[in-house]
Amino acid sequence: MSEITLRNVSKIYGSDDAAVNNINLDIKDGEFMVLLGPSGCGKSTTLRMIAGLESITAGDIFIDGKLINDIDPAERDLAIVFQNYALYPHMNVAANLAFGLKLRKVPKDQIESRILKTANTLGISELLTRRPRELSGGQQQRVALGRAMVREPVAFLFDEPLSNLDAKLRATMRTELVKLHNDLGTTIIHVTHDQVEAMTMGDRICIMRKGIIEQVGKPLEVYRNPANIFVAGFLASPPMNLIEGSFEQEGDSLKIEVSGITLTIPAHFANAYGNVHSRKDVILGIRPEDIYTDSNDGRYTCMETQVVAVEALGPETIMVVKLPGGKEISARLDRSFRAPIGSALKLYADIERMHLFDPETEKAIVAR
Amino acid sequence: MHKGLLKRLLPHVVLLVFSSAILFPILWMLRVALTNKMNAYQIPPVWGNPNFNNFIEIFADNSFMGYFVNSLSIAIGTTLIALPLAAAMAYSFARYNTGGLPLRLAVLSSQMLPPVILVLPLFSLFLKASLLNTQTGMIIAHITISLPFLAWLLVAFFEGDIVIIEQAARIDGATRLQAFLRITMPIMAPGLLAAGLLSFILSWNEFLFALILSGPQTNTLPVGLSSYQSHRGVDIALLSAAAICAILPVFILLPLMKKHLIKGLSLGAIK
Ligand SMILES: Nc1ncnc2c1ncn2[C@@H]1O[C@H](COP(=O)(O)OP(=O)(O)OP(=O)(O)O)[C@@H](O)[C@H]1O
Ligand SMILES: [Mg+2]
Repeated sequence: MSEITLRNVSKIYGSDDAAVNNINLDIKDGEFMVLLGPSGCGKSTTLRMIAGLESITAGDIFIDGKLINDIDPAERDLAIVFQNYALYPHMNVAANLAFGLKLRKVPKDQIESRILKTANTLGISELLTRRPRELSGGQQQRVALGRAMVREPVAFLFDEPLSNLDAKLRATMRTELVKLHNDLGTTIIHVTHDQVEAMTMGDRICIMRKGIIEQVGKPLEVYRNPANIFVAGFLASPPMNLIEGSFEQEGDSLKIEVSGITLTIPAHFANAYGNVHSRKDVILGIRPEDIYTDSNDGRYTCMETQVVAVEALGPETIMVVKLPGGKEISARLDRSFRAPIGSALKLYADIERMHLFDPETEKAIVAR
Repeated sequence: MHKGLLKRLLPHVVLLVFSSAILFPILWMLRVALTNKMNAYQIPPVWGNPNFNNFIEIFADNSFMGYFVNSLSIAIGTTLIALPLAAAMAYSFARYNTGGLPLRLAVLSSQMLPPVILVLPLFSLFLKASLLNTQTGMIIAHITISLPFLAWLLVAFFEGDIVIIEQAARIDGATRLQAFLRITMPIMAPGLLAAGLLSFILSWNEFLFALILSGPQTNTLPVGLSSYQSHRGVDIALLSAAAICAILPVFILLPLMKKHLIKGLSLGAIK
């Protein structure tokens, strides 16, 4: 049980640019925090600084209010599960689990009972006498998890532990990890670049880019209200369509012109945007799932489009279409929907769910 | 069907030709070693009745036994000192990047000079330090060959997957020393063993340094053999027997080394 606090933490490797640049993050006691971001954004570096495997160039890290910058990794009482598991190849599974306990001088009978308990929880009791090289990837992953659990650390640090598993096993492990977290209630920091893991596992997600934190929040909160263009374009797949456009004032009503389409902004939004539409340029964001094939009794805005590509995924059909101005967007449509490539197609956007971004600052304009 | 057979046979034929080019002189030497001075020069070979008299004679010969013991103790001494030093060097390069790239290159560059350039300064140094014709001197000389080479070999070992495994141990609660002794060393053992065997063989076979720096009391086998004379003059059959004895350890150690080298390089822990 512990809360982990990062204060103005930076990491600079050698003479490169900062891999982690002045980040602040508060992870609550018992929280499942997901660090999400593209490759090279500094997720692992952040995790490794918390673990003590990487020195902290600037800033402070606290565990339960205690400054740990200079505390040896062996004494932080954290557990890591690495992407490639890093089991001890010369020891069998039981010895792998026992290693940390022995170093901490846990009595022998207690070590045994804790190993058995952990092995039972993870379904690896049959594997205790095997060497790591005699295990499948999925089994190694469980052993790595077991090695972390058996020590009952103050927090778990996961560095993409599911990325080497096949899709089906990954889905199983996702649910198991969440269940495990519910049972243990231990703080978890989970690094991933998998959207689904981030959305389904985390109490909160922390989205990083190029060493800085772009947004922290509950998964659905971040999905509903992305703070900027990067988050909007990163979360979910296919991500939000982002289209450059400009405001037009036509008499009483405020309109936006994007790629050859004119959208009338609903009156109650127009007021909210009143303070910003003096800026002419804007980026409009609309999620593929907010585009429909029917107008919902005229409530949605019609767009004349041309079909560019069709991806029939089974549960749904992703349609890539071209707007009159040439901009391509994607729409998430019913699985039975088909239209030939090149054909004209009328689609309807739920304009109430649109997002607007300032092209200069890239920040979202107005929280609804 | 025929094509497949040819395809499988061809590499073997090629390998057979090449390996017989290497094996033939050795087999010839073996034949000579098993016969006597009279039959030794006969072509086509005359077999007489093969016997081990030559081997018995050289081991009864004090000078040969002297070379053998010198070689053995110098090779073992070199390895016992060079291996731990090289391991420490390699670990420090791999973990702390000691001296950075320049130091690594400096260590390696000593391997790039022709040995003959090093041997003369070493000779004058040893002369001043009265290390010529001593085992200590020979061991020091061979360490200058072994150490950089072993360090260079072991850095690759210490920089591999072992880094993360070691970090896992640190997180598990091990101090640096505990992680090194209980995780890194056991995992690296085959690699270290291979490196040790290599060091032994390097020293065992070394000729130039031994020729210049050793003397009558400290001659190693390669030097001794090059001037091997029995009390009856040069006896090719005796010399062959001695040469066979000289290469025997290498023949025994090489396959061992190959096995451990491969084991050391692939931890097999990480799929
Ligand atoms: N040991 C190191 N030495 C130098 N630069 C490093 C080191 N480790 C990471 N970096 C650099 O720091 C940046 C952040 O790396 P990091 O491993 O934290 O990214 P990541 O978000 O975990 O990426 P991925 O999803 O690919 O694992 C990258 O630009 C990387 O090249
Ligand atoms: Mg990473």
